[in-house]
Amino acid sequence: MSEALLSVRDLSVVFAGDDGPRTLIDNLSFDLGQGEILGLVGESGSGKSLTCRSLVRLMPSPKLAITSGAVMLDGRDLTKVSEADIRDVRGRDIGMIFQNPTSHLDPLMHIGDQIAEGIRVHRGVDGKAARAAALDILAQVGFPHPARQYNGYPHEFSGGMRQRAMIGVALSCDPRILIADEPTTALDVTIQAQILKLLMDLRESRGLSVIMITHDLGIVAQTCDRIAVLRQGKLLEIGGKRDLLGRPQHPYTQNLIASHPSMPARQAAMSSHIVHPTAVVPKARPLIEIDDLHVRFPVTGRGLFSGGPREFSAVKGVSLQVMPGETVGIVGESGSGKSTLARALLGLTPISDGHVSFDGADIVMERAKALSKLRQETAMVFQDPYNALNPRLTIGTMLAEVLAVQDSVPKERIPERIGELLDLVGLEREFAGRKPLSMSGGQCQRAGIARALAVNPKLIVADECVAALDVTIQAQIVDLFRDLKRRLNLTLLFIAHDLAIVRSLCERVVVMYHGEIVEEGPTEDVFSAPREAYTRALIDAIPDIDPDKRLVPPRGGDALIEETSGLVTDEIS
Amino acid sequence: MTAALAPAWVAVRRRPTLLAGLILLTAFLLIALTAPLIAPYDPILQNGDLRLQPPSWAHPFGTDNFGRDIFSRVIWGTRVDLQIAVIGVVFPFLIGTTVGTVAGYVGGKVDIVFMRVIDIILAFPFLVLMLSIIAILGPGLQSFYIAMALVGWVSYARLIRAQMLVLKTVDYATAALSLGFSGPRIMFRHLLPNAIAGSVVFSMSDCVLVLLSGAAISYLGLGVQPPIAEWGVMVAEGQSFITTAWWITLFPGLSIVTLAFGFSLTGDGLGDLLGVRE
Repeated sequence: MSEALLSVRDLSVVFAGDDGPRTLIDNLSFDLGQGEILGLVGESGSGKSLTCRSLVRLMPSPKLAITSGAVMLDGRDLTKVSEADIRDVRGRDIGMIFQNPTSHLDPLMHIGDQIAEGIRVHRGVDGKAARAAALDILAQVGFPHPARQYNGYPHEFSGGMRQRAMIGVALSCDPRILIADEPTTALDVTIQAQILKLLMDLRESRGLSVIMITHDLGIVAQTCDRIAVLRQGKLLEIGGKRDLLGRPQHPYTQNLIASHPSMPARQAAMSSHIVHPTAVVPKARPLIEIDDLHVRFPVTGRGLFSGGPREFSAVKGVSLQVMPGETVGIVGESGSGKSTLARALLGLTPISDGHVSFDGADIVMERAKALSKLRQETAMVFQDPYNALNPRLTIGTMLAEVLAVQDSVPKERIPERIGELLDLVGLEREFAGRKPLSMSGGQCQRAGIARALAVNPKLIVADECVAALDVTIQAQIVDLFRDLKRRLNLTLLFIAHDLAIVRSLCERVVVMYHGEIVEEGPTEDVFSAPREAYTRALIDAIPDIDPDKRLVPPRGGDALIEETSGLVTDEIS
Repeated sequence: MTAALAPAWVAVRRRPTLLAGLILLTAFLLIALTAPLIAPYDPILQNGDLRLQPPSWAHPFGTDNFGRDIFSRVIWGTRVDLQIAVIGVVFPFLIGTTVGTVAGYVGGKVDIVFMRVIDIILAFPFLVLMLSIIAILGPGLQSFYIAMALVGWVSYARLIRAQMLVLKTVDYATAALSLGFSGPRIMFRHLLPNAIAGSVVFSMSDCVLVLLSGAAISYLGLGVQPPIAEWGVMVAEGQSFITTAWWITLFPGLSIVTLAFGFSLTGDGLGDLLGVRE
């Protein structure tokens, strides 16, 4: 490593709360070298984002203050310089990109202008020169038609292009350091791979130093030179990625690495759990039969290229059978129709064409009968655990209500049953008296699963139910599902964009693309020998935790061509 | 009881605005309840010898052109004005909340019908509509309440409907649907409590508006009838003496302002407490 460009010494940040001060960042020290990519890894709440915001003194709350330590850049201590000087550092020396490009781009401003603005402010050039420079940056961050796309608004672009635009904005002032805060968490795997590649290319071409904040060890393994592991505001471990991933010193780091779903050893151990579909009683009737299902939504307003109203097909002719007791994974990028398929199957979205039957009852032909059956025998687990629970009800009240409405348990046995359900999902019984906001994401998700189980379901549909959780919690929830499935003989439909998790949990996998099933088969077969180029692109795009297994820039699959071909209207998902 | 109220008390104590507002409102409520005890004179007793007396120790707020004690009239007026503010808001609130919940959640034709009705009501100026309804029903407070209920609910309906449109796509609404909960249960038990905060806060500022329209209606002679003491009526009666006997108008006017202040402080504090503003 060359001489440190930025060095952080004993940085502490304290939150002055109502119940006394709390130290959120505790004596943190690290260096960032010229042209280096440093990964900051840790669970949510570990202080990764706060650390990076403290570097440029962008505190998310006035109650937060840097109490000690120094941030040295060019011999200046950024914690001590004046407000005007730090403003100059922001953007010119240190650029930032964030997780959600949609909320960090101005929706009413051309993306080109947003880039040009930074150039004018920090480089003091006139409008024309700024525009030329902005066009150059658009091309660098991978916009294929900069001149035309300069005047596009953020909503006209897909998530990946927006993230490119945001990187463009960050680069506009030619910073030496780029802080990337979970830059790809909101993106699909294939797009994630492209953005990571872009960041690495930029490092090559501009000598940029990058601090990459992420919870995904696969990403740091693929992109970073050094890794720092944070927990509860403390630096647990820092070192070269090969050392750290190969020989983690701290037990927490070891656990983090073990939780990563792409670990080959773990996969091998898991595949032994998997019951092969042939083990299902062969003469059993399929629990779910989907035959040539179409779901179409009317699109109001005018399309970008075609005038007049039109229909959007979310699901186009899908046929699928699920046997009782089977675990089927549905994977695909956002907008591929996986959630719509699940909702249609549960009778929550009107079906345009085709047939769906659940346990012999056809949703279209015998709607009332099928719906009452569905409501009593299926349940859903959602992506965002906080959104999925009514914030005003305690967990106990919520479960009691489900039990009362379902009328499956006699009234006097309800409290007992609530206790059993909480035991089943591994929550202490005292959680019955708590509200979602006083619980962690993982605990909420367990409560959500308890609600699903309260129905005594035959089928659980889990829609991206671990996507919003930390890796270690993800692993726990997946283990919980595996355990419940075995104990309760559940049929599980597991929708995810994270292929590694699907691979470890599901017996059979269905790959969806643009509303159609492109590939289907036993999980191991599909993952080891994908037949379709699209499936292969999806699998190759998973960042592996082994730094020597290079992240292959995804090839094939027209998704990618479309992604980069310019203005892409938002799909309805 | 005390144990259950303890967290609420802590929440209130941390918010000085809410605390100040609640203290003001409680004070007015106490004045209204104890009016017969604390008012030194009969509010409608006329005394020809004591006309247009300026404030003094015997008559702290002075007397009006009929020789009535303004201090006593202001105290008795608290009863009427509090009643106007509360009843004038409760019915619009209940109607508007129900309509908004149903329109927003059920959608479709129900929504279209209610929204057009709202458009029609909003097409007329507020006061003109109020006056015509009262003109049909005959002057008096009762007519005022009915007119208020018929006109005032639209704002609540629109507020709640907008919230419902957002909330019905939230995951816990979908979850409730997939668990076989009935429509009314989802609407009123699960979604409404999460949608209502904005309306509760608005109802506080609405109290102020109702208070002022009550005063305006009384000023026009269509609300509270003389000789009953009501602040709006008192201001109206005092206006012809404003240059010579300012106290007739000033003290009831100040009372309106103070009560309104109490409501809006409470509304502000409630907004903070219920997390309407993040």
